[in-house]
Amino acid sequence: MRRRKEKEIYDDRTASQVVVRSTAKRASRPGALWGYVFGATIAATVYTYPKTFPTVASREALASFSTNAAWAALFGPLYRLDTVAGYTAYKTGMFVMILGAIWGLLIATKLTRGEEDAGRWELFLAGHTTRRRAARDAAIGLGAGVVALWVPTALIAAVGGALSKTDVSVVALVYFATALVSAAVLFMAIGLLCAQLAPNRHDADLTGAAILAGSYLIRMMADSDASLSWLRWLSPLGWVEQLRPLTGSHWFAFVPIVALILVLVGVSVRIAGTRDLGTSAFAVRDEPRSRTLLLGGQAGLTLRLARPAIAAWVAALAATGFVFGLVAQTAGSALERSPTLDKIITRLGGTASGAVSYLGFVFVVAAGLVAIAVAGQVAATRNEEASGHLDNLLVRPVARWRWLGVRLLVGLGLVVVAGLFAGLAAWVGAATQHADLGIGQLVKAGLNVVPPAIFVLGVGGLAFGVWPRGAIGVAYGLVVWSFLAETIAAVVNSNHWLLDTSPLTHMAPVPASNPNWTAAAWLVGLGLVASLAGLAAFGRRDVVEA
Amino acid sequence: MARETAIRTEDLSKTFGSTKALVSLNLEVPRGEVIGYLGPNGAGKTTTIRLLLGLIRATSGRAAIFGIDCEQEPVEAHRRLAYVPGEATLWPSLTGTETLHLLGRVQGKVDLAYRDVLLERFDFDPSKKVRAYSKGTRQKLILIAALMTRADLLVLDEPTSGLDPLMEQAFRECVAESRERGQTVFLSSHILSEVEALCDRVAILRAGHLVEVGTLDEMRHLSALQVEADFDGTVPDLSGVAGVTGVVVDGKRVRCQVTGSVEPLLTVLARAGVSHLVSRAPSLEELFLALYGADGVEAPSDAPA
Repeated sequence: MRRRKEKEIYDDRTASQVVVRSTAKRASRPGALWGYVFGATIAATVYTYPKTFPTVASREALASFSTNAAWAALFGPLYRLDTVAGYTAYKTGMFVMILGAIWGLLIATKLTRGEEDAGRWELFLAGHTTRRRAARDAAIGLGAGVVALWVPTALIAAVGGALSKTDVSVVALVYFATALVSAAVLFMAIGLLCAQLAPNRHDADLTGAAILAGSYLIRMMADSDASLSWLRWLSPLGWVEQLRPLTGSHWFAFVPIVALILVLVGVSVRIAGTRDLGTSAFAVRDEPRSRTLLLGGQAGLTLRLARPAIAAWVAALAATGFVFGLVAQTAGSALERSPTLDKIITRLGGTASGAVSYLGFVFVVAAGLVAIAVAGQVAATRNEEASGHLDNLLVRPVARWRWLGVRLLVGLGLVVVAGLFAGLAAWVGAATQHADLGIGQLVKAGLNVVPPAIFVLGVGGLAFGVWPRGAIGVAYGLVVWSFLAETIAAVVNSNHWLLDTSPLTHMAPVPASNPNWTAAAWLVGLGLVASLAGLAAFGRRDVVEA
Repeated sequence: MARETAIRTEDLSKTFGSTKALVSLNLEVPRGEVIGYLGPNGAGKTTTIRLLLGLIRATSGRAAIFGIDCEQEPVEAHRRLAYVPGEATLWPSLTGTETLHLLGRVQGKVDLAYRDVLLERFDFDPSKKVRAYSKGTRQKLILIAALMTRADLLVLDEPTSGLDPLMEQAFRECVAESRERGQTVFLSSHILSEVEALCDRVAILRAGHLVEVGTLDEMRHLSALQVEADFDGTVPDLSGVAGVTGVVVDGKRVRCQVTGSVEPLLTVLARAGVSHLVSRAPSLEELFLALYGADGVEAPSDAPA
């Protein structure tokens, strides 16, 4: 019996719809998720500003470091910090812009080149379509992801703004959300082009990441010295800054943004039409010199596979630590005049003030970054299994617990080295500003980020052992939850139960206080127990491919 | 020395959710035997192999390789075997040389001279990155990685998928060599001519159940003999003769199959005046189709009206 009438004839239009829909579906879910996070971040900042800076004096103190070059280099040019709008732009702008750009880049390469590398793109191309048309349809599908990102970002920001009873207008917040989302779209377009030029998705991601880092550095130079401000026009991120969201609304910067997006998408679609499937637009060398130094066993292989990620994270943490050290002195003096931030430091157990307080506060960011790096190692572990690569080891004399143990140890090594470099680099940065901070103090601050990361690693390892398909979600979910718990806790006062579930809140603000040894021991102990349970569970379950 | 058992399974079963992938498999493979493992898609061949490798856990029953339990002591068991999957998923960023080096080191035992012979025989260039190799070339790489260990047991899961006929020939040469050296080979395959040419015994699986095990000769006895007879005069009616099925009359020629004893048929034929008689043992393919053709393929339960 025929239950429903099947459409018998497939034409070019239905083929296009299939590509658009499948791309749109896979882009809009994560897009909406990030939209909620971005919207909530903006809304929470608008909402908490009057509480954090209740007096005119505290706002003026904050505004006084609008002229701080190091601060501007990190967060972009600062305008009217004594207003809710200016403060929100500074506090959330760069953060959302960078995260959005990374997401845009990765989702674009994943849904185009990733599909092609996996061989699924061929299934579309075998239908009533051409390489060029399919690339165009994928770009349209990604557009749906942009809408899914923009709507919650703008909506939650606007609602949060309206409820906050501050003077920042709904229109200004929607413009702000649009400006920030435009950074995501710019890098989505850059990702599309990289996906066409590079020989595979991995290389496309690396190329895009290099462009992002370059854009960030160019705008960093432009923002740190007024005489270099013209450089801003050379960086896509600089254009988004030029939009001056919340602090002046210079909409004309949308002209280069929209123009570049249209050109990049157009060129990508064109190249997709002329390039052979599965190849680069340029010739590439696939015959490098074989290097067998690390390949004496599974442990060496794990190190070799993790090497690029380790190098990137250690460099990122060192750079972050350096900037922290660089701005610590000036930021600290402003901090002293904010009673609420002082209160937060005290709540966290800190007693010191000034630069030391500031560092105690911002090293939580370093802890968050290290936790993301560790979640990435859990994901890499699961991906080895899901891809079937792990089978090659497990059908040979390699014990499962040994392989997973090495994987977790590599994660642990990454955490310790990255934390250490963050601390050392912070000391170097502070030393250039002649801040009076001891190297021991900052190394301690760097190593203080290790326990929460060990906890994340342990929970991720346990999830890998008992629920392999969910392991990546659990690891990243725990990190995202930690950030959210911090944000929510800033709005909803004194909800200890909520805060206690986030490993980051159990960190003492070193160097503003001494390390909380009890909490650290708990985090490390729980992480260790979870890891061991994960090792045991992995030995007893089926190997599960994707 | 008593012949050691290479593979022994006792009531080996595996259930995925509500699907019974393998039901109570009892199989014994003596050392030095080349056994073919046959069955249609989804019959449970790969499940059996993954159980033997300890990659998945048995729902009940056990499996042992050279007396070593596959689940309890996988590392020890793996020292004795080499495995070739039907689809090579290797690290794309490593070169062929790096992959062979790594897999050899992990195994801990490589016959370097034989590796060079294999590189030559399979015409394999190891200098490129795995991502640059075609499917067939990757298959060659993983075949070489397994064969170069000279392991006591070779577990091969459709090892020649993607290989061209020349390479298929090279592969048969390797299996023949392994047999001469006394290695045991467990060969799961869809290529029946390959199994027919290489295997001492054949095991046939259907829907998770082992339905036949034996040498090809033994199996042929179970199956029908193909008979073709030409007559001078009237063609006799053979449909009533004991053991005879599938009678097709084509002018003065009759084709039919005989199961069991051929004597009743011969008696009838002798009386009718046969001018020409050809009988032929069934090929493995015919055996296979006979086993699956009639009741092996399940009719779709929801067939369109």
